[in-house]
Amino acid sequence: MKAMLAVMRKELLTYFSSPLAYVILTAFLFVNGYFFSIIVAYLSQPGVPPGAPLKAFFGGSFFYWLFILLVVSALTMRLVSEERRSGTIEFLMTTPISDMEVILGKYFASLLYYIFLWSFTLIYVIIIHTHTPVELGPVFTGYLGIILHGALFLSAGIFASTFSKNQVVSAIWSFVILIFLFSVGLLVNLVPTQAWRDAVEYVTLWQQMDDFSKGIVDSRALVYSISLTVLFLFLSAQTLSVRKWR
Amino acid sequence: MIEARDLTKVYVDSPAVDHVSFSVGEGDIVGFLGPNGAGKTTTLRMLTGFLPPTGGTAIIGTHDVWRNGKDARRILGYLPENVALYNEMRVHEYLHFRSDLEGVSGKSYANNLEYVVEKCLIQDVVTSPIGSLSKGFRQRVALAGTLIHRPQVLILDEPTVGLDPVQIIKIRSLIKELGKDHTILLSTHILPEVELVCNRVMIIDRGRILAQDTPEKLKRHLIGNPVLGITLKKPAEKAEAVLRDLPNVTKMTPGIEGEEEISFTIEAAPGHDLREILFSTAVDRGWTLLGLREESVSMEDIFLRLTTQEPVGEEREVEP
Repeated sequence: MKAMLAVMRKELLTYFSSPLAYVILTAFLFVNGYFFSIIVAYLSQPGVPPGAPLKAFFGGSFFYWLFILLVVSALTMRLVSEERRSGTIEFLMTTPISDMEVILGKYFASLLYYIFLWSFTLIYVIIIHTHTPVELGPVFTGYLGIILHGALFLSAGIFASTFSKNQVVSAIWSFVILIFLFSVGLLVNLVPTQAWRDAVEYVTLWQQMDDFSKGIVDSRALVYSISLTVLFLFLSAQTLSVRKWR
Repeated sequence: MIEARDLTKVYVDSPAVDHVSFSVGEGDIVGFLGPNGAGKTTTLRMLTGFLPPTGGTAIIGTHDVWRNGKDARRILGYLPENVALYNEMRVHEYLHFRSDLEGVSGKSYANNLEYVVEKCLIQDVVTSPIGSLSKGFRQRVALAGTLIHRPQVLILDEPTVGLDPVQIIKIRSLIKELGKDHTILLSTHILPEVELVCNRVMIIDRGRILAQDTPEKLKRHLIGNPVLGITLKKPAEKAEAVLRDLPNVTKMTPGIEGEEEISFTIEAAPGHDLREILFSTAVDRGWTLLGLREESVSMEDIFLRLTTQEPVGEEREVEP
């Protein structure tokens, strides 16, 4: 536990001392600010049916997803790859730390950074709130959805980072896995029976996000994200062990 | 404290380490010598639990490195060959991180920090970012990280590489001092280092241990008979014939003949010290003795002799 927290602290320190983290932060705020202002401008036009800007903001557009996939890949690509490239893994793995503690330490650091990024968007809630009443329930569940999906994506990203010494290779693998997780919902039009369609809808991330932004917390969505997250973390620790056998 | 039983590592199909067995007792400082690619690093990595062996067992303290890895690693400090550090961290942050990984904190961490900073001579760089340090400092910071939890067993892969001569002397004396209450296995290819620091030597080549003993015994076994060098002032009449006929002289070779002096190399039969008889012969004959010394055999000689020897039985017969 202590060793895991040490790894987490070290990774957070690395995030905040690397230019990449600030580039991600800047790009994140710029792109989200841009989306947000477009959404607000669009909804304030006369003739457009009234809607809640925050609901549209939380997962309401394709760009939201694309950008999240990119940000997660950038956040996780170096986590394990860099240890292997630089050789620091050699002393790390010969201290009394387990493979799982290494993975979890790194994972929680990336999750905290991800939450840190999103915490800036609370400003949008405040901005809207000063002009019109905001229903806080859906805002809360919206953030819950963002964190839940982020947790899933980050675990997939860290899994991809165990594949290679090369960060770029890890980032590409991460993007591939995330695109797959994201696009599995598109299969809904291809599967033959209603039972299959129900199953696919259950794992469709934008469907889940749509529920969250309306204030609905579907326990199936929670189970899906959390169980996949645990699976990816488990696989990451396994891949880290397998490395030794090569 | 460190034991290897039949350790074997096979990469693809050629063995990098081939049934290596040895043990390092408490308080020993053992030098692990071998040319590049001999299997030194692979052996050390198996001992530290970084690489799994293809066969055999590695034991640190009383713990099997594979079955009981966490306990084994808790009492182990390992300095890998290539010094890899987190460049974005400051030295004290790095040492704190290492200490946390080892589960040492609070007051014992503060004491250990003071100890390693002083011993590894890194007082001046404690607050510097690691990325800005020179190679010598990086090496010493890595060593400090290895020592931060005061491990009982130290495995050091080439600990003095990249240091300047003054630092090398200081680190060597540190290793010697650590040897008083630590068990140390260190690999190197700087041979005099082994003679200065270690009380036992193992020589490995092509994945096999060729010899292990104290540096002195290795020399005696491998070089055989004691060799003396004698220098006489000219004209030392009949010196060559007289020296050759002395009892227990097995071999005599004339050496350099200068304008004023002449020297000879004399090999004695095992167990015989010829120094006294050489001196009295010189006095009896009225020669002026300018020098008499034991020819020292360096670890280089031993090393070369062992690692360049053609294995017996592989000699090919010359075709007619």
